[in-house]
Amino acid sequence: MKKIISYIILYIVFCLLQFSLGKYLNIFEIYPNFILIFVVYLGLLKGAGSAQLIGFLLGLTWDIFSTGIFGMKAVIFTVIGYFVGRASRNFDNGKIFAQSVIVFFFSIVYWVGSSFMGYIFYKGGNYAIGLFTLSNVVEIFVTALIAPVVFYILDLYV
Amino acid sequence: MCQRRKSKKENVVFAVLLLIGFSFIICGSCVPVNLVKTFVYYVAYPSVGTANCIFRFTGNLAENIKAMVHLHQENIMYKQINKELNDKLRNYDLMVKEYENVSEFLKLGKIENTVLIFAEISVREPHEWYQWLIIDKGEDDGLYNDLPVAMLSRDKGALYAVGRIVETYKTSSKVALITNSNCVFPVEIKDKGINCLAEGFGSNLLKITYIPFGANVKPEDEIVVSELSSVFQKGMAVGVIRDVMEETTDDFKTATGKVFFEDNILYKAIILVPQKKTK
Repeated sequence: MKKIISYIILYIVFCLLQFSLGKYLNIFEIYPNFILIFVVYLGLLKGAGSAQLIGFLLGLTWDIFSTGIFGMKAVIFTVIGYFVGRASRNFDNGKIFAQSVIVFFFSIVYWVGSSFMGYIFYKGGNYAIGLFTLSNVVEIFVTALIAPVVFYILDLYV
Repeated sequence: MCQRRKSKKENVVFAVLLLIGFSFIICGSCVPVNLVKTFVYYVAYPSVGTANCIFRFTGNLAENIKAMVHLHQENIMYKQINKELNDKLRNYDLMVKEYENVSEFLKLGKIENTVLIFAEISVREPHEWYQWLIIDKGEDDGLYNDLPVAMLSRDKGALYAVGRIVETYKTSSKVALITNSNCVFPVEIKDKGINCLAEGFGSNLLKITYIPFGANVKPEDEIVVSELSSVFQKGMAVGVIRDVMEETTDDFKTATGKVFFEDNILYKAIILVPQKKTK
Protein backbone atom coordinates (compact mmCIF):
# COMPACT_ATOMS: atom_id res chain seq x y z
CA MET A 1 0.00 0.00 0.00
CA LYS A 2 2.82 2.36 0.97
CA LYS A 3 4.57 1.52 -2.29
CA ILE A 4 1.45 2.31 -4.36
CA ILE A 5 0.94 5.66 -2.61
CA SER A 6 4.58 6.63 -3.16
CA TYR A 7 4.26 5.72 -6.86
CA ILE A 8 1.08 7.82 -7.16
CA ILE A 9 2.89 10.79 -5.57
CA LEU A 10 5.87 10.32 -7.89
CA TYR A 11 3.49 10.04 -10.88
CA ILE A 12 1.95 13.42 -9.97
CA VAL A 13 5.35 15.01 -9.27
CA PHE A 14 6.78 13.92 -12.64
CA CYS A 15 3.59 15.02 -14.46
CA LEU A 16 4.04 18.45 -12.88
CA LEU A 17 7.75 18.54 -13.71
CA GLN A 18 7.16 17.65 -17.33
CA PHE A 19 3.93 19.43 -18.20
CA SER A 20 3.57 22.33 -15.79
CA LEU A 21 7.06 23.47 -14.79
CA GLY A 22 8.46 23.03 -18.29
CA LYS A 23 6.62 26.13 -19.45
CA TYR A 24 8.54 28.29 -16.96
CA LEU A 25 11.92 26.58 -16.78
CA ASN A 26 12.76 25.72 -20.39
CA ILE A 27 15.61 27.55 -22.08
CA PHE A 28 14.92 28.08 -25.80
CA GLU A 29 12.43 25.17 -25.59
CA ILE A 30 15.19 22.91 -24.29
CA TYR A 31 14.09 20.97 -21.25
CA PRO A 32 15.15 17.58 -19.85
CA ASN A 33 12.88 14.60 -20.36
CA PHE A 34 12.11 13.95 -16.68
CA ILE A 35 9.67 11.15 -17.45
CA LEU A 36 12.37 9.22 -19.29
CA ILE A 37 14.80 9.73 -16.38
CA PHE A 38 12.19 8.46 -13.93
CA VAL A 39 11.38 5.37 -16.01
CA VAL A 40 15.09 4.55 -16.38
CA TYR A 41 15.58 5.06 -12.63
CA LEU A 42 12.72 2.68 -11.80
CA GLY A 43 14.02 0.15 -14.30
CA LEU A 44 17.49 0.19 -12.75
CA LEU A 45 16.38 0.08 -9.15
CA LYS A 46 13.04 -1.71 -9.07
CA GLY A 47 13.24 -3.90 -12.16
CA ALA A 48 11.14 -4.21 -15.30
CA GLY A 49 7.75 -4.71 -13.58
CA SER A 50 7.38 -1.27 -11.95
CA ALA A 51 9.26 0.58 -14.69
CA GLN A 52 7.13 -0.66 -17.57
CA LEU A 53 3.87 -0.02 -15.73
CA ILE A 54 4.77 3.51 -14.61
CA GLY A 55 6.28 4.14 -18.05
CA PHE A 56 3.03 3.07 -19.68
CA LEU A 57 0.92 5.35 -17.43
CA LEU A 58 3.18 8.40 -17.80
CA GLY A 59 3.42 7.84 -21.55
CA LEU A 60 -0.35 7.54 -21.77
CA THR A 61 -0.76 10.82 -19.86
CA TRP A 62 1.66 12.52 -22.25
CA ASP A 63 -0.26 11.08 -25.21
CA ILE A 64 -3.52 12.39 -23.83
CA PHE A 65 -2.20 15.92 -23.43
CA SER A 66 -0.51 15.96 -26.82
CA THR A 67 -1.90 16.03 -30.35
CA GLY A 68 0.41 13.28 -31.64
CA ILE A 69 -0.33 9.61 -32.20
CA PHE A 70 -2.34 8.36 -29.24
CA GLY A 71 -0.55 5.45 -27.57
CA MET A 72 2.86 6.07 -29.13
CA LYS A 73 4.62 7.40 -26.04
CA ALA A 74 2.90 4.78 -23.86
CA VAL A 75 4.44 2.04 -26.03
CA ILE A 76 7.89 3.68 -26.11
CA PHE A 77 8.10 4.22 -22.35
CA THR A 78 6.83 0.67 -21.73
CA VAL A 79 9.56 -0.73 -23.99
CA ILE A 80 12.22 1.49 -22.33
CA GLY A 81 11.04 0.46 -18.83
CA TYR A 82 11.12 -3.22 -19.76
CA PHE A 83 14.56 -3.21 -21.36
CA VAL A 84 16.17 -1.04 -18.65
CA GLY A 85 14.74 -3.42 -16.06
CA ARG A 86 16.07 -6.45 -17.92
CA ALA A 87 19.52 -4.91 -18.35
CA SER A 88 19.72 -3.47 -14.83
CA ARG A 89 21.85 -6.33 -13.49
CA ASN A 90 24.64 -5.51 -15.94
CA PHE A 91 25.20 -1.96 -14.70
CA ASP A 92 26.70 -0.38 -11.63
CA ASN A 93 23.78 1.91 -10.84
CA GLY A 94 25.64 3.93 -8.22
CA LYS A 95 28.15 5.46 -10.62
CA ILE A 96 27.23 8.88 -11.99
CA PHE A 97 28.89 8.20 -15.34
CA ALA A 98 26.96 4.94 -15.79
CA GLN A 99 23.67 6.69 -14.98
CA SER A 100 24.36 9.41 -17.54
CA VAL A 101 25.36 6.93 -20.22
CA ILE A 102 22.25 4.77 -19.69
CA VAL A 103 19.94 7.80 -19.81
CA PHE A 104 21.80 9.10 -22.88
CA PHE A 105 21.38 5.78 -24.67
CA PHE A 106 17.68 5.49 -23.83
CA SER A 107 17.10 9.14 -24.80
CA ILE A 108 18.37 8.19 -28.26
CA VAL A 109 16.11 5.12 -28.20
CA TYR A 110 13.22 7.40 -27.29
CA TRP A 111 13.79 9.83 -30.18
CA VAL A 112 14.55 7.11 -32.73
CA GLY A 113 11.48 5.18 -31.57
CA SER A 114 9.31 8.30 -31.77
CA SER A 115 10.43 9.18 -35.29
CA PHE A 116 10.19 5.56 -36.46
CA MET A 117 6.67 5.07 -35.11
CA GLY A 118 5.66 8.50 -36.36
CA TYR A 119 6.89 7.53 -39.82
CA ILE A 120 4.93 4.26 -39.76
CA PHE A 121 1.67 5.30 -38.14
CA TYR A 122 1.28 8.94 -39.06
CA LYS A 123 -0.99 9.47 -42.02
CA GLY A 124 -0.03 12.71 -43.73
CA GLY A 125 1.47 15.80 -42.11
CA ASN A 126 5.10 16.63 -41.50
CA TYR A 127 5.53 14.51 -38.38
CA ALA A 128 8.84 12.75 -39.02
CA ILE A 129 10.60 15.89 -40.25
CA GLY A 130 10.34 17.78 -36.96
CA LEU A 131 11.65 15.04 -34.69
CA PHE A 132 15.38 15.24 -35.32
CA THR A 133 16.51 18.81 -34.85
CA LEU A 134 19.46 20.48 -33.16
CA SER A 135 17.32 21.20 -30.10
CA ASN A 136 16.48 17.49 -29.80
CA VAL A 137 20.17 16.59 -29.83
CA VAL A 138 20.89 19.22 -27.16
CA GLU A 139 17.93 17.89 -25.16
CA ILE A 140 19.39 14.39 -25.20
CA PHE A 141 22.65 15.72 -23.71
CA VAL A 142 20.81 17.88 -21.15
CA THR A 143 18.67 14.90 -20.09
CA ALA A 144 21.77 12.73 -19.67
CA LEU A 145 23.58 15.44 -17.67
CA ILE A 146 20.67 16.14 -15.33
CA ALA A 147 19.91 12.43 -14.76
CA PRO A 148 22.41 11.87 -11.87
CA VAL A 149 20.88 14.81 -9.95
CA VAL A 150 17.37 13.36 -10.35
CA PHE A 151 18.68 9.90 -9.42
CA TYR A 152 20.24 11.35 -6.26
CA ILE A 153 16.99 13.10 -5.22
CA LEU A 154 14.96 9.97 -5.98
CA ASP A 155 17.42 7.89 -3.92
CA LEU A 156 16.60 10.06 -0.92
CA TYR A 157 12.86 9.62 -1.42
CA VAL A 158 12.27 6.10 -2.73
CA MET B 1 12.41 -20.44 -8.98
CA CYS B 2 10.78 -17.32 -7.51
CA GLN B 3 12.98 -15.14 -9.74
CA ARG B 4 11.91 -17.10 -12.82
CA ARG B 5 8.24 -16.76 -11.91
CA LYS B 6 8.68 -13.00 -11.39
CA SER B 7 10.44 -12.71 -14.74
CA LYS B 8 7.65 -14.62 -16.46
CA LYS B 9 5.05 -12.36 -14.87
CA GLU B 10 6.96 -9.28 -16.06
CA ASN B 11 7.04 -10.66 -19.60
CA VAL B 12 3.29 -11.23 -19.56
CA VAL B 13 2.64 -7.70 -18.23
CA PHE B 14 4.98 -6.31 -20.91
CA ALA B 15 3.10 -8.17 -23.66
CA VAL B 16 -0.28 -6.99 -22.34
CA LEU B 17 0.88 -3.35 -22.08
CA LEU B 18 2.29 -3.47 -25.61
CA LEU B 19 -0.97 -4.95 -26.88
CA ILE B 20 -2.97 -2.19 -25.20
CA GLY B 21 -0.55 0.46 -26.49
CA PHE B 22 -0.70 -0.74 -30.08
CA SER B 23 -4.49 -1.11 -29.96
CA PHE B 24 -4.62 2.56 -28.83
CA ILE B 25 -2.46 3.51 -31.81
CA ILE B 26 -4.52 1.53 -34.31
CA CYS B 27 -8.00 2.41 -32.99
CA GLY B 28 -7.03 5.96 -32.00
CA SER B 29 -10.45 7.54 -32.45
CA CYS B 30 -12.93 4.79 -31.56
CA VAL B 31 -15.36 5.17 -28.66
CA PRO B 32 -13.67 2.95 -25.99
CA VAL B 33 -10.28 4.60 -26.62
CA ASN B 34 -11.87 8.05 -26.39
CA LEU B 35 -13.45 7.00 -23.10
CA VAL B 36 -10.04 6.00 -21.71
CA LYS B 37 -8.58 9.25 -23.04
CA THR B 38 -11.23 11.40 -21.39
CA PHE B 39 -10.98 9.47 -18.11
CA VAL B 40 -7.20 9.78 -17.85
CA TYR B 41 -7.41 13.44 -18.87
CA TYR B 42 -9.81 14.23 -16.02
CA VAL B 43 -7.54 12.33 -13.59
CA ALA B 44 -4.27 13.94 -14.73
CA TYR B 45 -5.29 17.51 -15.62
CA PRO B 46 -6.48 18.82 -12.21
CA SER B 47 -3.08 18.43 -10.50
CA VAL B 48 -1.21 19.94 -13.46
CA GLY B 49 -3.75 22.75 -13.81
CA THR B 50 -3.69 23.52 -10.10
CA ALA B 51 0.11 23.49 -9.97
CA ASN B 52 0.20 25.89 -12.89
CA CYS B 53 -2.19 28.21 -11.08
CA ILE B 54 0.03 28.11 -7.99
CA PHE B 55 3.20 28.89 -9.98
CA ARG B 56 1.46 31.67 -11.82
CA PHE B 57 0.03 33.22 -8.69
CA THR B 58 3.36 32.97 -6.87
CA GLY B 59 5.04 34.74 -9.75
CA ASN B 60 2.44 37.48 -9.72
CA LEU B 61 2.39 37.94 -5.94
CA ALA B 62 4.67 40.99 -5.85
CA GLU B 63 2.77 42.63 -8.66
CA ASN B 64 -0.52 41.89 -6.95
CA ILE B 65 0.57 43.50 -3.68
CA LYS B 66 1.64 46.60 -5.61
CA ALA B 67 -1.61 46.65 -7.48
CA MET B 68 -3.65 46.40 -4.28
CA VAL B 69 -2.26 49.74 -3.08
CA HIS B 70 -3.66 51.50 -6.14
CA LEU B 71 -6.88 49.55 -6.10
CA HIS B 72 -8.90 51.81 -3.86
CA GLN B 73 -8.36 54.95 -5.95
CA GLU B 74 -9.07 53.08 -9.14
CA ASN B 75 -12.23 51.68 -7.63
CA ILE B 76 -13.67 55.15 -7.04
CA MET B 77 -12.75 56.18 -10.57
CA TYR B 78 -14.31 53.09 -12.10
CA LYS B 79 -17.53 53.65 -10.18
CA GLN B 80 -17.88 56.99 -11.92
CA ILE B 81 -17.09 55.48 -15.31
CA ASN B 82 -19.56 52.71 -14.60
CA LYS B 83 -22.35 55.24 -14.12
CA GLU B 84 -21.53 56.89 -17.43
CA LEU B 85 -21.32 53.57 -19.25
CA ASN B 86 -24.66 52.44 -17.86
CA ASP B 87 -26.28 55.50 -19.41
CA LYS B 88 -24.56 54.75 -22.70
CA LEU B 89 -25.64 51.11 -22.52
CA ARG B 90 -29.25 52.15 -22.40
CA ASN B 91 -28.71 54.10 -25.61
CA TYR B 92 -26.83 51.13 -27.11
CA ASP B 93 -29.74 48.75 -26.47
CA LEU B 94 -32.06 51.15 -28.23
CA MET B 95 -29.62 51.42 -31.15
CA VAL B 96 -29.36 47.62 -31.43
CA LYS B 97 -33.13 47.31 -31.62
CA GLU B 98 -33.26 50.03 -34.24
CA TYR B 99 -30.46 48.34 -36.22
CA GLU B 100 -32.30 45.03 -36.15
CA ASN B 101 -35.55 46.61 -37.27
CA VAL B 102 -33.88 48.49 -40.11
CA SER B 103 -31.83 45.50 -41.30
CA GLU B 104 -34.96 43.35 -41.25
CA PHE B 105 -36.90 46.01 -43.15
CA LEU B 106 -34.15 46.40 -45.77
CA LYS B 107 -33.46 42.62 -45.78
CA LEU B 108 -29.76 43.14 -45.07
CA GLY B 109 -27.47 40.48 -43.56
CA LYS B 110 -26.62 41.20 -39.94
CA ILE B 111 -23.03 41.79 -38.84
CA GLU B 112 -21.84 38.85 -36.72
CA ASN B 113 -20.06 39.92 -33.57
CA THR B 114 -17.20 38.01 -32.06
CA VAL B 115 -16.65 37.66 -28.34
CA LEU B 116 -13.06 37.51 -27.14
CA ILE B 117 -12.36 35.08 -24.31
CA PHE B 118 -8.99 35.43 -22.58
CA ALA B 119 -7.41 32.22 -21.29
CA GLU B 120 -4.24 31.31 -19.45
CA ILE B 121 -1.99 28.62 -20.88
CA SER B 122 -1.98 25.90 -18.25
CA VAL B 123 0.05 23.19 -19.99
CA ARG B 124 2.75 23.58 -22.65
CA GLU B 125 5.28 20.79 -22.90
CA PRO B 126 8.74 22.02 -24.03
CA HIS B 127 9.44 18.89 -26.15
CA GLU B 128 6.28 19.61 -28.15
CA TRP B 129 6.44 23.38 -27.82
CA TYR B 130 5.20 24.04 -31.35
CA GLN B 131 2.61 21.25 -31.42
CA TRP B 132 -0.05 21.90 -28.79
CA LEU B 133 -0.99 23.66 -25.58
CA ILE B 134 -3.80 23.44 -23.07
CA ILE B 135 -5.75 26.51 -21.92
CA ASP B 136 -7.75 26.91 -18.73
CA LYS B 137 -11.09 27.68 -20.42
CA GLY B 138 -13.48 25.03 -21.67
CA GLU B 139 -17.12 24.12 -22.26
CA ASP B 140 -18.20 26.01 -19.15
CA ASP B 141 -16.92 29.23 -20.73
CA GLY B 142 -18.72 28.62 -24.01
CA LEU B 143 -15.83 27.13 -25.96
CA TYR B 144 -16.17 24.33 -28.46
CA ASN B 145 -14.04 22.52 -31.04
CA ASP B 146 -12.64 24.32 -34.11
CA LEU B 147 -12.68 27.81 -32.59
CA PRO B 148 -9.71 29.97 -33.61
CA VAL B 149 -7.13 30.88 -30.96
CA ALA B 150 -4.98 34.00 -31.21
CA MET B 151 -2.45 35.95 -29.17
CA LEU B 152 -2.16 39.70 -28.79
CA SER B 153 0.89 41.63 -29.94
CA ARG B 154 2.47 43.59 -27.10
CA ASP B 155 3.14 46.80 -29.03
CA LYS B 156 0.96 46.72 -32.15
CA GLY B 157 -2.20 45.45 -30.47
CA ALA B 158 -2.78 43.11 -33.43
CA LEU B 159 -4.10 39.57 -33.13
CA TYR B 160 -1.75 36.81 -34.29
CA ALA B 161 -3.10 33.42 -35.37
CA VAL B 162 -2.01 30.70 -32.94
CA GLY B 163 -4.10 27.61 -33.52
CA ARG B 164 -7.50 26.04 -33.18
CA ILE B 165 -9.27 24.16 -30.43
CA VAL B 166 -9.25 20.42 -31.13
CA GLU B 167 -10.59 19.01 -27.88
CA THR B 168 -12.85 20.71 -25.37
CA TYR B 169 -13.31 19.60 -21.77
CA LYS B 170 -15.34 21.10 -18.95
CA THR B 171 -12.77 23.62 -17.71
CA SER B 172 -9.94 23.24 -20.22
CA SER B 173 -9.32 22.89 -23.95
CA LYS B 174 -6.54 21.48 -26.07
CA VAL B 175 -5.24 23.75 -28.84
CA ALA B 176 -3.40 22.43 -31.91
CA LEU B 177 -0.99 25.20 -32.93
CA ILE B 178 -0.60 26.42 -36.50
CA THR B 179 2.93 25.02 -36.33
CA ASN B 180 1.57 21.54 -35.51
CA SER B 181 2.82 18.83 -37.89
CA ASN B 182 -0.77 18.06 -38.80
CA CYS B 183 -1.86 21.64 -39.50
CA VAL B 184 -2.47 23.07 -42.95
CA PHE B 185 -4.43 26.27 -43.60
CA PRO B 186 -4.90 28.76 -46.43
CA VAL B 187 -2.91 31.99 -46.26
CA GLU B 188 -2.08 34.87 -48.56
CA ILE B 189 0.78 37.29 -48.97
CA LYS B 190 -0.34 40.64 -47.58
CA ASP B 191 -1.08 43.41 -50.12
CA LYS B 192 -0.18 41.06 -53.01
CA GLY B 193 -3.24 38.81 -52.98
CA ILE B 194 -1.17 35.67 -53.61
CA ASN B 195 -3.01 32.67 -52.22
CA CYS B 196 -1.01 29.73 -50.88
CA LEU B 197 -0.99 27.15 -48.10
CA ALA B 198 0.85 27.20 -44.77
CA GLU B 199 1.96 23.88 -43.30
CA GLY B 200 3.33 23.39 -39.82
CA PHE B 201 6.17 21.00 -39.04
CA GLY B 202 6.77 21.25 -35.32
CA SER B 203 9.11 24.25 -35.27
CA ASN B 204 8.66 28.02 -35.21
CA LEU B 205 8.68 27.99 -39.00
CA LEU B 206 5.87 27.38 -41.44
CA LYS B 207 6.28 25.81 -44.85
CA ILE B 208 4.48 28.02 -47.38
CA THR B 209 3.51 25.86 -50.33
CA TYR B 210 1.67 26.23 -53.63
CA ILE B 211 3.02 29.71 -54.34
CA PRO B 212 2.50 30.29 -58.08
CA PHE B 213 5.89 30.12 -59.82
CA GLY B 214 5.70 33.63 -61.27
CA ALA B 215 4.49 35.22 -58.03
CA ASN B 216 6.56 38.04 -56.58
CA VAL B 217 7.21 36.73 -53.07
CA LYS B 218 10.21 38.08 -51.18
CA PRO B 219 11.66 37.65 -47.69
CA GLU B 220 10.03 39.97 -45.13
CA ASP B 221 6.65 39.79 -46.91
CA GLU B 222 3.89 39.41 -44.36
CA ILE B 223 1.72 36.28 -44.33
CA VAL B 224 -1.93 36.74 -43.37
CA VAL B 225 -4.91 34.39 -43.21
CA SER B 226 -6.68 34.02 -46.53
CA GLU B 227 -10.42 34.47 -46.97
CA LEU B 228 -10.59 30.77 -47.81
CA SER B 229 -9.92 29.85 -44.18
CA SER B 230 -12.87 28.32 -42.38
CA VAL B 231 -11.28 28.75 -38.94
CA PHE B 232 -9.50 32.11 -38.77
CA GLN B 233 -10.73 35.54 -39.74
CA LYS B 234 -9.48 36.93 -43.03
CA GLY B 235 -6.41 39.13 -42.71
CA MET B 236 -5.28 37.87 -39.30
CA ALA B 237 -1.48 38.10 -39.09
CA VAL B 238 0.37 34.76 -39.25
CA GLY B 239 4.06 35.38 -39.85
CA VAL B 240 6.70 36.72 -42.15
CA ILE B 241 8.47 35.11 -45.13
CA ARG B 242 12.06 34.14 -44.34
CA ASP B 243 13.33 32.25 -47.39
CA VAL B 244 11.95 31.55 -50.82
CA MET B 245 13.10 28.33 -52.46
CA GLU B 246 13.28 28.59 -56.22
CA GLU B 247 14.34 25.04 -57.12
CA THR B 248 10.86 23.46 -57.16
CA THR B 249 8.40 22.22 -59.74
CA ASP B 250 7.46 24.23 -62.83
CA ASP B 251 4.14 25.39 -61.43
CA PHE B 252 4.77 26.22 -57.80
CA LYS B 253 7.50 27.29 -55.45
CA THR B 254 7.89 26.91 -51.71
CA ALA B 255 8.94 29.30 -48.96
CA THR B 256 9.50 29.23 -45.23
CA GLY B 257 7.90 31.72 -42.90
CA LYS B 258 8.49 32.56 -39.25
CA VAL B 259 5.39 32.68 -37.08
CA PHE B 260 4.55 35.89 -35.24
CA PHE B 261 2.97 34.36 -32.19
CA GLU B 262 6.25 33.60 -30.42
CA ASP B 263 7.73 37.10 -30.45
CA ASN B 264 6.66 40.11 -28.46
CA ILE B 265 3.27 38.80 -27.43
CA LEU B 266 1.20 38.92 -24.30
CA TYR B 267 1.38 35.35 -23.04
CA LYS B 268 -2.37 34.85 -22.99
CA ALA B 269 -4.51 32.99 -25.46
CA ILE B 270 -7.49 34.77 -26.94
CA ILE B 271 -10.32 32.66 -28.26
CA LEU B 272 -12.56 34.25 -30.83
CA VAL B 273 -16.09 32.99 -30.24
CA PRO B 274 -18.71 34.04 -32.78
CA GLN B 275 -21.74 35.41 -30.99
CA LYS B 276 -24.77 33.24 -31.39
CA LYS B 277 -27.63 34.77 -33.30
CA THR B 278 -30.56 35.66 -31.08
CA LYS B 279 -34.07 35.87 -32.40
